[in-house]
Amino acid sequence: MSVHILGIRHHGPGSARNVKAFLEELQPDIVLVEGPPEADALLQWAGHENLQPPVAILAYQPESPQKACFYPFAAFSPEWQAILYARRQRIHVRFMDLPLAHVFGMEHEATVDENNQQPPENTDSGSAPVFVVRRDPISHLAEAAGYEDGERWWEHMFEYRQQQTQIFEAVNDAMQALREELPRKEDHLEQLREAWMRKCIRLAEKEMFQRIAVICGAWHAPALNNMPKQKEDNDLLKSLPKAKVECTWIPWTYSRLSYESGYGAGIPSPGWYEHIWEHPADDGTRWMALIAKLFREQQKDTSVAHVMEAVRLANALASLRHYSRPGLEELNEATLSVLCNGENILMQLIRDELIVRNRMGTVPIEVPKPPLQTDIEKLQKKLRMPQTADFKDYLLDLRKDTDLERSIFLHRLQLLEIRWGRRQEVSGKGTFKEQWRLQWDPSFSIDVIEKGSWGNTVAEATASFVISSANNTSTLQQVCRMLESAIPAELPAVVEVLIHRINNLAAASGDVLQLMEVIPSLVNISRYGNVRKTDAALVSGIAESMIGRICISLPAACTAVADDAALALLELFYAMNDAINLLQDPALTGEWQATLLIISRAAQSASMIGGYATRLLFDGKIITGDALVKAFSVAMSVANPPAQAAAWLEGFLKGSGTLLLLDEELWNMVHNWVSQLENDFFIQVLPLLRRTFSNFTAPERKKLGDKVKSAGAGNGKKSGSTTVGIDENRASKGIPVVMQILGWGDSKILADGA
Amino acid sequence: MSDILRYHAEQLFAHELEELKKQDQEKRPHNWLLSPQSVVTYLIGGKLKNGFEVTPKYIGSRRLMEISVATLATDRALLLYGLPGTAKSWVSEHLAAGISGDSTMIIQGTAGTSEESIRYGWNYARLLAEGPSKNALVETPVMRAMQDGKLVRIEELTRIGADVQDTLITILSEKTLPIPELNSEIQATKGFNVIATANNRDKGVNELSSALKRRFNTVILPMPDSMEEEIDIVRRRVESFEKIMDLPAEKPALEEIRRIVTIFRELRNGVTLDGKTKLKSPGATLSTAEAISVVNSGLALAAYFGDGTLKAADLAAGIIGAVVKDPVQDKLVWQEYLETVVKTRDEWKDVYRACRDLV
Repeated sequence: MSVHILGIRHHGPGSARNVKAFLEELQPDIVLVEGPPEADALLQWAGHENLQPPVAILAYQPESPQKACFYPFAAFSPEWQAILYARRQRIHVRFMDLPLAHVFGMEHEATVDENNQQPPENTDSGSAPVFVVRRDPISHLAEAAGYEDGERWWEHMFEYRQQQTQIFEAVNDAMQALREELPRKEDHLEQLREAWMRKCIRLAEKEMFQRIAVICGAWHAPALNNMPKQKEDNDLLKSLPKAKVECTWIPWTYSRLSYESGYGAGIPSPGWYEHIWEHPADDGTRWMALIAKLFREQQKDTSVAHVMEAVRLANALASLRHYSRPGLEELNEATLSVLCNGENILMQLIRDELIVRNRMGTVPIEVPKPPLQTDIEKLQKKLRMPQTADFKDYLLDLRKDTDLERSIFLHRLQLLEIRWGRRQEVSGKGTFKEQWRLQWDPSFSIDVIEKGSWGNTVAEATASFVISSANNTSTLQQVCRMLESAIPAELPAVVEVLIHRINNLAAASGDVLQLMEVIPSLVNISRYGNVRKTDAALVSGIAESMIGRICISLPAACTAVADDAALALLELFYAMNDAINLLQDPALTGEWQATLLIISRAAQSASMIGGYATRLLFDGKIITGDALVKAFSVAMSVANPPAQAAAWLEGFLKGSGTLLLLDEELWNMVHNWVSQLENDFFIQVLPLLRRTFSNFTAPERKKLGDKVKSAGAGNGKKSGSTTVGIDENRASKGIPVVMQILGWGDSKILADGA
Repeated sequence: MSDILRYHAEQLFAHELEELKKQDQEKRPHNWLLSPQSVVTYLIGGKLKNGFEVTPKYIGSRRLMEISVATLATDRALLLYGLPGTAKSWVSEHLAAGISGDSTMIIQGTAGTSEESIRYGWNYARLLAEGPSKNALVETPVMRAMQDGKLVRIEELTRIGADVQDTLITILSEKTLPIPELNSEIQATKGFNVIATANNRDKGVNELSSALKRRFNTVILPMPDSMEEEIDIVRRRVESFEKIMDLPAEKPALEEIRRIVTIFRELRNGVTLDGKTKLKSPGATLSTAEAISVVNSGLALAAYFGDGTLKAADLAAGIIGAVVKDPVQDKLVWQEYLETVVKTRDEWKDVYRACRDLV
């Protein structure tokens, strides 16, 4: 019976190669791998042709899926190679780390102890708290060997190595020395983990396996080689708290594997590691060829001679630094110097495309997963919208069935708050086009699991999720927004519930402003909803009843309003009026105009709103001619405080002064009103008037100015026409040309003109 | 003390090169004075096994020097690229000294540099008297370096006209220099290579043709990373200058150097060191090399006209001369800096007074 401890670095291609070679020589009958025992059942999928790394085991607590943990694997992860070997040889393979049930259980206890003062430690950033490699200690060894950087030392020492004899003994000895030298931090969790690993090894021994191979992080190797008494470990592991844990495979990406993403055991260059895993003997030639290819794709000329020189320089640098072969550093420096002419910008391209590489793994559809996840994957396959690590744009034509289905699917995910797609502005007119940008992020898997509690299919989950959130919100606006998104998601049941909810809220709401705010969007739906084959009748019904409610309570709401509140109300009036015009329903329009009439006539109405109501009525040709002049003169009468009159004028002229230009009577009224204002009052209302007139368009203002000038002398003499200033001299220059064009001119006139 | 104003690198650091050669255990490329590793040590400085201290020549990234040396070891030509005053020529001189033990093969690139000064010229008297012969040839540094297997330096490559630049292509790729008049050629011996320098700030330079560019490995020399690094550079260079010039003045006070470097860095980066105040940048490059010359001229002023100690007043003229290159624009920038930054620093009162008197 023999136990072989293989200390590795997580995601180290050299370690992976060593592990593979070692296992093939040893021919063990069981392989123990550092990882959560809960995921043992998932190991049978390794080797399935559709389980392509990078993938990760996602372990989560069913009752709070946001507390999750990832165990990523790339093709060059030693653990992955060990698992694959075991699957190929049909021998036992087990995970042997401390069960996550206990880890989560302890975390839970810790948070309870702290009286929930601290939020649970970063659960969503993808960092696996139990999976952190002790990188720091290695830098001590590197320093001893004369390297500045632990990472580089390890790479040249173990990862790029071609000769593998006794490498695991060497790792073990090195780590042993480190563990003895460095002052140990009392890390309870680490002790528990190592105790559990030893427990697993003992169990395997007891089961009479002959050759046991153990794959674990290098740091743990000495702890597993020197077994303490069994009883000590058992005491340590006694009565640990527990939590429920479930696991599944999920696709992973290289960018998530790099430590830029905040993953504890991250590696700086997944793409490069994949390269040296696939081509261990590459002296940089293949790598440089890849770069050259990339450059040519980007329309940057790169010759074979460039590649040759870069490889030579990389090798020269390696030998200058006493390395047996160039590492990524040397290759990067050679690339920068030879291929990029020293320009750093191009290096960024290489970093994104080759060194990190946005690659995404796949997971077979048969892997047991939460039902919602399965449904989403089924739909993704059916609609041919694969999960990709890079973003991809889709332009959907909603008149086509597939595209409509895609849009519905995306809208539903949006409602579920799974932000896979982002809606983008689409150019051109028409409501049948939608542009989406899709980019999958492995962390969506957690969202999917979390939303899984709402239902087993996308439609079902979305429906119950939206209904529940609608019942929990009490503002009309939010429910209306939900309604707006629920309609393109084609959830009729939800729409119905939302409409009832809106109806109830509207009935209960005493706040007419809130009702007015939602009318425009409701009207939009009822007017344009038809493109999506939605039954809009339901919506227009509710819009109608809401308009009725508004009309009843609006006059009261317009009295005793402060100036700034009146200004806000004015905007609502504006949108509301647009909405009612859009509906083109005579009954509703009549009702609305009757309301406006009441408002305009009521002396208590805020004057700005009164003015605007009058204007709207004029637009609707309800108040015209004498009636308008009457209303106007009442508002402008001297008895009114000037500020009030100015406010009325502002409301009346909102948006456009054309009215004043065209109607001479109104013009005179305003003109007279302004000219009879006393100095003090004039100064008082001037800002208001300025505000009113400054909103007009420039030509309008210019014409108004001209009109004041020309009308200044003969007050109101030129009625009904506007004067146009003509410069006789300049005009005469054009006449000959016009004459010639018309065929009337003779050359003499032309010559005179010239 | 001999009368020579400035010694070559290989003369000035002869004892270091000698010691490095003695201690060198690595493989030496053909015709190289030192192994590549030792050349890097010569440039970056360090302690040898026997305790001998090699002074640093280039203060900055070791990697850049490694790339440069490795480039020359693969017999590719080296192009040192960067702003004026980033030690391009300095590095190239020391590379030549360390590798060939001879930094004298140099061609200064100008707009008037002709093909004859790169390939070969003729001694016309001889040519008329004897007809075309080897004796009538006037050798250029390139030709001599090819024959001797040494490094040749071409300063300011981009100032040379494009057509003349391209004569280098054959020399770099075929490593031969054909002499059609004599129906012969010069074939380069091992160890020959070219170090060119060029700066990327100047206007009116001739961009290298892509054929020529392809034959160079480019190393961009950056401005010093940190304040401390820059101060270190200025201090070392000024001290060596003192040695050469026999200046009677006291050692330059670190404080004064620090102030000059601060002023230069702040104006160059357009922001004060604490990152709080934005500044306008003058048109001048304000390189480390200029900081060095400001301190040097300050020292000279202090030695000959002052009391021997470096004071703010001795430096003021130099600083203004370096900063204000454009009498209108730069002067405004400088005055603004003086009033908004220098004036507010309590311990800088003397600088402020000295500079204000001069503007």
